[in-house]
Amino acid sequence: MSSDTTMAEPILTATNLSVGFMRGGKEMKAVDDISFSVAAGETLGLVGESGSGKTTIGRAILRLLPSANTTSEGSITYKGADITGLSKTDMRNMRGRLQMIFQDPLSSFNPRRNVEDIVAEGLVIQGRPATDRRERVKAALADVGFDLEAVAGRRPHQFSGGQCQRIAIARALAVQPELIVCDEPVASLDVSVQAQVINLLQDIRESRKLALIFISHDLAVVKNVSDRVAVLYMGRIVEIGTGPEIYERPAHPYTRTLLEAVPVVDASRKLEPDGRRTVMPSRNRPQSGCAFRGRCPRASTICETTIPILGQAPRGQMVACHHPHDEPAPGIAAA
Amino acid sequence: MTDIGNNPGFNPGPDAKLSEIVRAATPWSSKLRLSSGSTSEIIAAVFLVLLILVALFVNFIPGLVSPKLPYGDFSQLPDWSLNGLLGTDDIGRSIFSRVLYGARTSMTIVAISTTIALVAGLMLGLLAGYYRGYFERAVDLFANALAAMPSTLVVLAFVAVTGPSVVTIIVVLGIFDIGTYARVAKAGVISQSNRDYVLAARAMGATDGRILLREILPNLIPALTAVMPTLMAGLIITEGSLSFLGYGIPAPAPSWGGMIASSTDLLSRFPLLILGPVLAIVITVYAFNTIGDYLAQRLNNREREN
Repeated sequence: MSSDTTMAEPILTATNLSVGFMRGGKEMKAVDDISFSVAAGETLGLVGESGSGKTTIGRAILRLLPSANTTSEGSITYKGADITGLSKTDMRNMRGRLQMIFQDPLSSFNPRRNVEDIVAEGLVIQGRPATDRRERVKAALADVGFDLEAVAGRRPHQFSGGQCQRIAIARALAVQPELIVCDEPVASLDVSVQAQVINLLQDIRESRKLALIFISHDLAVVKNVSDRVAVLYMGRIVEIGTGPEIYERPAHPYTRTLLEAVPVVDASRKLEPDGRRTVMPSRNRPQSGCAFRGRCPRASTICETTIPILGQAPRGQMVACHHPHDEPAPGIAAA
Repeated sequence: MTDIGNNPGFNPGPDAKLSEIVRAATPWSSKLRLSSGSTSEIIAAVFLVLLILVALFVNFIPGLVSPKLPYGDFSQLPDWSLNGLLGTDDIGRSIFSRVLYGARTSMTIVAISTTIALVAGLMLGLLAGYYRGYFERAVDLFANALAAMPSTLVVLAFVAVTGPSVVTIIVVLGIFDIGTYARVAKAGVISQSNRDYVLAARAMGATDGRILLREILPNLIPALTAVMPTLMAGLIITEGSLSFLGYGIPAPAPSWGGMIASSTDLLSRFPLLILGPVLAIVITVYAFNTIGDYLAQRLNNREREN
């Protein structure tokens, strides 16, 4: 059950993935029965508001979730191997192929390390010989526009946010991964710097045939980088499809609401959002039926009783809604 | 791709302004400067350095008599000679010599007890903060139980069983500080574990041991350094009070607390003779606490900057 608009064989597949966190004896489902796949060289964008489970999905893929107070179900397979079932040692061997770039560029570096050690760390852990290591660190830094000699001895706090994020990319590239999970890699950067980092990621992705999972709350950013986009709400995928499918004809009312919230330069073209019904349900006491129905302008009685499952939408993408839209989104098409 | 901010490959042309070159060459200059200490902090630091030197090399001081053997008349008042600087005690030993040798006793206890406490506390704290769960609860319970017990009384109980000895005091005092170091380390590990660089290391395939020792441990050093002097001051006071009660360092060996105890009998007739050991304890504890405050404050400032 994946929306296979891509031809290539998927390298990463998540099937019925659920992750819950125990808080004070109650379980909070952060990710609820999600399935998706990523092909080699493909970029999958994950969009959603705070708490929609984006980061949890990213961390589940790399098995970075804390083991205490966390329950997880379903499977994540990478090239046929089930990551969730791997032993610690096998997982460690897998680590070189899956990498991650974090949101806060500064806190993702150990403040007591210099840049060369930071970028080389993965290679040290893999046990590469020192000469080979220096070569690959140099190459990885060159890929992100740094000269090893010029930056080697410096500490992370001596760099700007954009520079730090490039070093983070270099660190991920040094171990030559096949898939990188980018967790809001540009959210903490200035807009002008965002563009540079995104372009850099795109260039590297093309030259190295990397698969990316690009997590963001910024629809515009995701639109620019992604081949396919999955929209998340309350830990579920509500809509998944190619960029044009999602952005030009969003079928799910939530996607539509998100797109309406995007600021438009020309105010006369802006769609007036329907601001009547906005009740955020509690994550600890999930309501029956569709999680979005409290905020949905199209909600009806069936939405209160039945959880909508992901199915084929009229225009090709997959959508989880009882009343999907079928008309283009004029505001976005204009913008 | 052009660089943002400080260009690591900054190459000043012929028209470059001096300030630009300086800024590009030393982007770290503002971070490197340590907040300089006040006068009392400098004095405290100098005093502690002297104290450590005395503790290490007291037997090489020329002209200083043995602290265990009588040197002059009993209860001789201070005069201007090296050994008579603080007078003599009830059996005629040089108080100055005994104060200096007492420094060696105190510093030895501080050094060994702190090492015991630091190593054990760090290990417990690292594991408790990293693995949480039952282990954390056990360590918390241990630390709370230690904090709830008055250390002097417990040492008294031990000494009553084993008889006064330096080893007993060092070990028991060391055990009492384990709880505090464990708690500081645990809190540090918990706050560091939530930072992305720990996740990044794990994503690289780092083992738990590597993450704890290579990634987290170096970042705990500032917090531990800040609590250490205060705990050391506590050790000096506890050791002093034990010796004062006669349960500390066994008799002929010089210790500040024991010296105060033996001076109290003569206090009404020769009040000056108690001055040496009392000043030694007061100034040492004050110096340790001053340095502790300074380190704690500097740590706070650093964290605010980052």
